[in-house]
Amino acid sequence: MSEAVVMKKKKKFADEPNFTEKKSYRPKGVKETGLVFVGHEISDDGSAMNQFLHYDQLYTIRHGRNSKFFKGLLDGEIWGTKCPKCGDTWVPVRTHCWNLDCNLQETEWVKMPLTAKVHTWTIAGWSGRSSLKRLPIVLVYAVIGDSKVAIANELHGIEPWNVEFGMQLKIVFKPKEERTATVTDFHFEPADRWKPSPMNPEKERIKKLVEPVYEWVKTLK
Amino acid sequence: MTRKVCIVGGATTPFDYGPTGFESIEGGATECIKETRKDIPEFSMRDIDLMIYSHFSVHFGHQLCSEWIIHDHLGLVGVPHYRVENGGNTGGSALYAAALAVMSGQHDVVGVIGWETMDSVSQSKGSEFIALASDIRYELLVGGIYPIYYAAMANKWMKDNNVTEEDVATIGAKNRNNAMDNPKAQWYRNEHKYITVEDVMNSRLISYPIKKYDCCLMSRGVAFVLVCSEEYAKKVNPDHYVTIDGMGLSSCTIRAGDRLNFPGWTERYGAGYPEMTEFGACRNAADRAYKMADIENPLKEIDFGEIHDAFSTSEAQIYKALYLADENNIAQFLRDESTHMHGEIPMNPGGGLMGYGHPVGATGIMSTIECFYQLSGLIPKKHLSKKTEVPDAECGIINSHAGTGTSISNFILRKG
Repeated sequence: MSEAVVMKKKKKFADEPNFTEKKSYRPKGVKETGLVFVGHEISDDGSAMNQFLHYDQLYTIRHGRNSKFFKGLLDGEIWGTKCPKCGDTWVPVRTHCWNLDCNLQETEWVKMPLTAKVHTWTIAGWSGRSSLKRLPIVLVYAVIGDSKVAIANELHGIEPWNVEFGMQLKIVFKPKEERTATVTDFHFEPADRWKPSPMNPEKERIKKLVEPVYEWVKTLK
Repeated sequence: MTRKVCIVGGATTPFDYGPTGFESIEGGATECIKETRKDIPEFSMRDIDLMIYSHFSVHFGHQLCSEWIIHDHLGLVGVPHYRVENGGNTGGSALYAAALAVMSGQHDVVGVIGWETMDSVSQSKGSEFIALASDIRYELLVGGIYPIYYAAMANKWMKDNNVTEEDVATIGAKNRNNAMDNPKAQWYRNEHKYITVEDVMNSRLISYPIKKYDCCLMSRGVAFVLVCSEEYAKKVNPDHYVTIDGMGLSSCTIRAGDRLNFPGWTERYGAGYPEMTEFGACRNAADRAYKMADIENPLKEIDFGEIHDAFSTSEAQIYKALYLADENNIAQFLRDESTHMHGEIPMNPGGGLMGYGHPVGATGIMSTIECFYQLSGLIPKKHLSKKTEVPDAECGIINSHAGTGTSISNFILRKG
C-alpha cells in the first residue's frame, strides 16, 4: 500500500480552521528572549547570593466558542449570549447556561445595545505597570442592556469625582485601526444628556485624594 | 466529624519583602520545622506520613513543582506529597486537604508547608502576576490589579451599610499596630511604627475608597503547620494541642460582576445575594463550619480570629459574612472597636495580612499558626509581650480568602 493511500484513509477528528486574516500589533521592544540568566549580586560578607533570570514567552489564547465576542470588538459591536431555555443573558458571555436545571444548555448569540448603567465604581490612583500613565482611572462595573451580570471597564469623559451609582452610559469604541480585539477596544462615557450633580463633601474628599495622583503622573517619564 | 483532627505545632519564617528576606525556600521550610521541633521535641520527621504543599504562583519562583525541591531537602523521599493551589485561599485549602486526610483515617501525621517569594519580581510586576488570577480576557486590561476590583465592591458595600472611610481605616491601623508586638511580622521588621486612623486616611490613594494603609503587604515567607490525629497529638503535645472542630470551604464567581443574581446563590440565600458587595462564599463556608462545630451565636461563642484582611474594607465585609454584625449594626460594631484587642472579639492579634504580611501560599498557614499559638498559650513566648494575647481563649476562627471572594474557607479551632 502506498503512503498516499494511507494518508487518504486517515480519520479526521476535527476540521482544522484556516486562518487567512492574520494581524500583528506587537508593540516595539517586546521580544521573546527565552530563559536567560542575566546577572547576579553577592553580599559583601559573602553569605548571600542573588541571581537574575529573565524569561519571556508568547502565548496563544484560543477563544474557541467565545470567539464571536472578541471578533465583534474589532467590528465595534458588543455581543452577548442568551440561554434559549431560561432566557438569562450575559456580557461577559457564557457559552453554556449557568442554571444547573438548564443542564449546560448551549447559549445563543445576541447583539447588545451600546448603552449601559453603572452598578458600582472606583477611582484608581495606582495600577499595574502598563496602566500607570493613564491614572487616575475611573473603573466602573456596568450592566449592558438586559445582561444579568456587570462588566468592568473604564469610564472616560468625566471628572473622576463626578461618577455616580446608577448613571447611564454609552459605549464608545476606539478608531477601527487601533482595535486589538480586547476589552480595551471600548470604554464607557456618560450618556449624552447626563449632567454631573453639584459638589458635595464626598466629591471634595475624592478630589483631594485624586489631585496628588495627577501631579505624580506628570513626573513619570 | 468521623475522626478528630488536631494541630500540635507550627512556625513561620520572618515575613519580609526585599533585601532582609534572602533565605531559599527549602532553607525557610527547614527553619520553620526546626522551630516547631523546639516547641514539641517529641515530634520527629520520621512521623510524617503525608506532606501537603501550599503554593500559589509559579510565576514568582519560576520553578515548576518547587515543592519537590523542599520535599527531598527535608529528607522525606518516599513520603507521599502533593501541592494545593487555590489563589489567596491556597493556605486554607491546604489545611482543608490535610484535615480531610486525617479525618478519613488514611493519614495520621500531615505536614503542611506554604510559601511565596513575591519579592522575586518588581512590586508592580508582582501586582500584575496576582491579577493573572482575575479573568485576563475581561478584567486584567481594564483594572490591572486586585485592589481596584476590591475597591469597587467595597465602595458600594460601604454605601449600602452606612460604613465610612474612617470606620474601615480603624482596621488598617489596628492590624499594623498589633503587628508591632510580633517580631516575625513584616510591618514590625520593615516600617516599624505605630499608626493612627488619620495616617490611614492620609496615605496615598490606591483605589477609592482604599488607600495604601488599607492594603495588605506583598511578602516573602514560609510557614509550616503540623496536622494530626488525636492519638498522635496526645503523644507529642498532650497539654496544648488544638482541635479543628469545624471547617467549611465554598466558592463564588471569578468575576465579581457575575454575582448580581447568580442562580446558585439565589437558591441558597435569596435573590440579589451576594450581589457585588458581600462575600457569599465566606458566609456559606461559615455556615458549614459553624454547623460542624455546633456554633449558634458566633459572636458569643468565638473568642478571636485570624482572618484574611487583604484590605481593611474586606476585613469589615468578612465580619458581616461571619454573622458578627448585620447591615443594621455593622457601622456601630466598627465604631465600638469590637475587634480590637480590648473588644469583644479581637481579630488579627498576630497582625494579619496588613501587619504580618501576605506571602500568598503561606498566609492561611500563618493565620492557622497564630490561632494555634493563642489557644495553646504560646503567645507570650512567640510575641514580644502579652499585649496581643487573647486572655483565656478557648475558641478561634481562621479565615482564608481568594480572588475577589472566589474561594473562601473558615475553620473553628478549640483547645484540645
